[in-house]
Amino acid sequence: MVQEVAIGHETVRWEPVPAEDAVVQVQNLNLFYGKHQALYNVSVNFPRNKITAIIGPSGCGKSTLLRSLNRMNDLVPGVRLEGKVIYEGVDIYDTQVDPVEVRRHIGMVFQKPNPFPKTIFENVVFGLRLQGQKTGLDEVAQRALERAALWDEVKDKLGEIALRLSGGQQQRLCIARAIATEPPLLLLDEPTSALDPIATERIESLLIELKQHYSLVIVTHNMQQAARIADRTVFMHLGVLIEEGPTNQMFTNPRDKRTEAYITGRFG
Amino acid sequence: MNTSTSTTWASKKPGRSPGERLVEAILFATSLVSVLTTAAVIVVLFSETFQFFLRVPLTEFLFAPEWTPLFAEPRYGIGALLAGTFLFTAIGLVIAIPLGLLTAAYLAEYAPHEQSIRVKGIMELLEGVPTVVFGYFALLFLTPILQNLIPGLNLFNPISAGLVLGFAILPYISNVASDAMMAVPRSLREAAYALGATKFEVVTKVVFPAAVSGIVAAIILATSRAVGETMIAAIAAGQRPILTLDPRETIATMTSYIVQAATGDQPAGSLASRALFSVGATLFLLTLGFNILAQRIVERYRERYE
Amino acid sequence: MQRGLIQDSSQNPQKQQRDRINRVFARAVVVPTVIALALIAVLLLDTLYDTVSVQVVEVTETSGKSFALGQALTADQVIRLELAAQGKSEQEIAAFMSDPDEMRIFRLRNRVELMWATQDGPLRWVVSSLDDTRIKNLSLIEGLRQWNELKQSLNENQQLRLNPWLDYSFLTRDPSRNPISAGLRVALFGTIWLLTMTLLISIPIGVGTAIYLEEYAPKNRLTRFIEVNLRNLAGVPSIVFGLLGLAVFVRGMQLGPTLMAAALTMALLIMPTISIAAREALRSVPDSMRLAAYALGATKWQMISKVVLPATIPGVATGVILAAARAIGEAAPLLMVGAAAYVAFIPRGPLSEYTVLPVQIYLWISANLSEFANTAAAGIVVLLLTLGGLYALAFWVRRKYRVEW
Repeated sequence: MVQEVAIGHETVRWEPVPAEDAVVQVQNLNLFYGKHQALYNVSVNFPRNKITAIIGPSGCGKSTLLRSLNRMNDLVPGVRLEGKVIYEGVDIYDTQVDPVEVRRHIGMVFQKPNPFPKTIFENVVFGLRLQGQKTGLDEVAQRALERAALWDEVKDKLGEIALRLSGGQQQRLCIARAIATEPPLLLLDEPTSALDPIATERIESLLIELKQHYSLVIVTHNMQQAARIADRTVFMHLGVLIEEGPTNQMFTNPRDKRTEAYITGRFG
Repeated sequence: MNTSTSTTWASKKPGRSPGERLVEAILFATSLVSVLTTAAVIVVLFSETFQFFLRVPLTEFLFAPEWTPLFAEPRYGIGALLAGTFLFTAIGLVIAIPLGLLTAAYLAEYAPHEQSIRVKGIMELLEGVPTVVFGYFALLFLTPILQNLIPGLNLFNPISAGLVLGFAILPYISNVASDAMMAVPRSLREAAYALGATKFEVVTKVVFPAAVSGIVAAIILATSRAVGETMIAAIAAGQRPILTLDPRETIATMTSYIVQAATGDQPAGSLASRALFSVGATLFLLTLGFNILAQRIVERYRERYE
Repeated sequence: MQRGLIQDSSQNPQKQQRDRINRVFARAVVVPTVIALALIAVLLLDTLYDTVSVQVVEVTETSGKSFALGQALTADQVIRLELAAQGKSEQEIAAFMSDPDEMRIFRLRNRVELMWATQDGPLRWVVSSLDDTRIKNLSLIEGLRQWNELKQSLNENQQLRLNPWLDYSFLTRDPSRNPISAGLRVALFGTIWLLTMTLLISIPIGVGTAIYLEEYAPKNRLTRFIEVNLRNLAGVPSIVFGLLGLAVFVRGMQLGPTLMAAALTMALLIMPTISIAAREALRSVPDSMRLAAYALGATKWQMISKVVLPATIPGVATGVILAAARAIGEAAPLLMVGAAAYVAFIPRGPLSEYTVLPVQIYLWISANLSEFANTAAAGIVVLLLTLGGLYALAFWVRRKYRVEW
């Protein structure tokens, strides 16, 4: 469905993700930390088997938006939320929904690699063990590590403590840990911000690989990264979703002046 | 830039008035009091102990089944006192470890801020109760109740003394263990939540294992306190040093023996008095060892996350 | 896939199990606190309960009569009534009461007390003699339950009383081997003396150590050693300090079992606590204050004494009060340095013999006589009230003088 949006004197053609292609639909989301409002009436559809990047200056609410997709914000005391986040036809904020179950379906990778102080193997199968799975762990661990492009580096030292790995390896281990339970949707919160360029490149190509199996939403402060890997991009500013669309279009022909200013580096 | 060539503390900052240097010298002297105290403890305990071993063979000290320095045929088996100390401490830990760790989990993971202040207040209260009061409570309140429940329980026994001891050392476990748990980075908890863990699973499968060294240190510290705890043992556990592991029997801990010996009259220099100091030396070495071990462990886990 | 999101426990017993454990654990973590609170409450109530008992006393020297509160208000008035009840005439009583020697002997051998209840009724004065023999000493509940039978079975010279052990005269009586006349006076004075002397010795040393380590000490191995040593000293069992005091102060310096030996021992024991609190207070003073003082041309000691130390007073005071509270409750090391001896008089100076509250309580507990359990309980209440007062004071100082930098 093509929309035509009038901005000033210009008219821009814009195509939101149709509901049937969306893995998650955010509808009129308002979020408050106590009295402070962090998200203002955000609505956006995140497409299936694509990478969507959320960009914007720091403090714009991009991490908050990401964390409301798997109810991680529930862990912050004093958070209040209005609106809907519909995942596979169910509002995950419905009172009947168990947040623990939500997080099982929607995986997450964090800014800093955060492996548990356990062995590499135990890290990967942690989620499976939580669900009481006792057999076939070896196969699942191998598949997850292969998909995370880490298998060749660690296959001989699965029993080693994960903290000995390099930063980039640790982050790929965290990705392997997140995908071991086969979550259809994977959220990534600035996953390469703590890594060097070489490790970053490996993770980026890995994310493009992962598109085949998973839908991905990635928060990044790195414009080039969004341009390199994202199919669609969401631009946030001060808790408001300013603009959303195919990455190419947003980077070459932004509809909003603030987007243009941010992308061209005038603030942020 | 270090201009001083001398190694003494006083010449480090040249050109200061004599008054200023006198003040610094006095302050330095006060800080040496603690060092001298430690030195005096060591000299006193070990010179007396050395004298003791000139008269009593080490094998007697280690292997004799009884500790009866005042009998006509005295025996000097530290094992009897160690067994009593072990019973008393072990029963205390059986109470203090689970309660202390649950409290630590509550403080670190569950309690809202105001609530955790209140819980810490209760723990401080427990810490502030004089141990002679705990001893009174064990002997005159708990023991009569337990005697109805446990057949063959002596009036003085390590069970009720140990139970009360457990509450006396609970604050040490809960304080140190909750500090260790709070030092576990938030990111690890988030990682576990993001994998669909329940709060219980986050606490037991991520936070506990990550804080395990701090928790072990907390337990060792509490053990050290328990071994050195005197009044509860002296009042409620008894002062009869025999080698037994039956918790219904009257026993003697190292500390309760020291109290018993000191409240009697033993002339300085007598073998019985030297025996007293040899028990003190054993107690000192044991608790010092525990304390140093706990500090080492705490320092190691600090490094890990900083 | 969708179904999994909705919490439908019947479909997933394993998740149901996990949720249940989670809920149980969330409640279990509160349980120890509740138990600890309950224990403290039971301990307090039990102690208070033990400060009263029901006694049956065989009266030998006194009249065995009790006097209503309305008849007498002061001890002298009670003595007058008692002498009359013993059959003395008005002149005899007047002569007796004007003779200081007679009165002193009477007061030493007898005790005037207000009992909560007697066989004659509630709140009555009783004069008991040291030679009275106690036939029964029953707990409050037991005694009240048997009250009527006990009253029926009283002989000629027997008295039934509900005795509150903790009264004003308990605080002012000297110790005694006889529980009926045992009091806390000597122990109270001993505690005040000992605490004062201990603090006079340990505050300068503890604070001096803290100032040296925080403001002067170079970062070298000696400093590191002093710091580690201080921490280890804080973990040494208090009874070991007692052994040290016994060998060095009592025997080595030949101070004997005196206040001085005890104060030196206790000062070494609480010095690390004071020092650690003072260091924290010093550390909380921001460096900008120090720089400001230097910028005004202050020497180092002027900077410390005029700027830093005044700012640390609340913190140091709190630490000192808490250390004092610890010192007041300590019995073990003092048993080693002479507090366990029977002392009948209040201390007259640093070289006097002494006893203190917790040691007196310990001696009563180990006396193995049911009435001494009552005096021990009364002593514990006094000890706990003293400590409560000190903690309240520390709390108040901390609140009132807290500085926000």
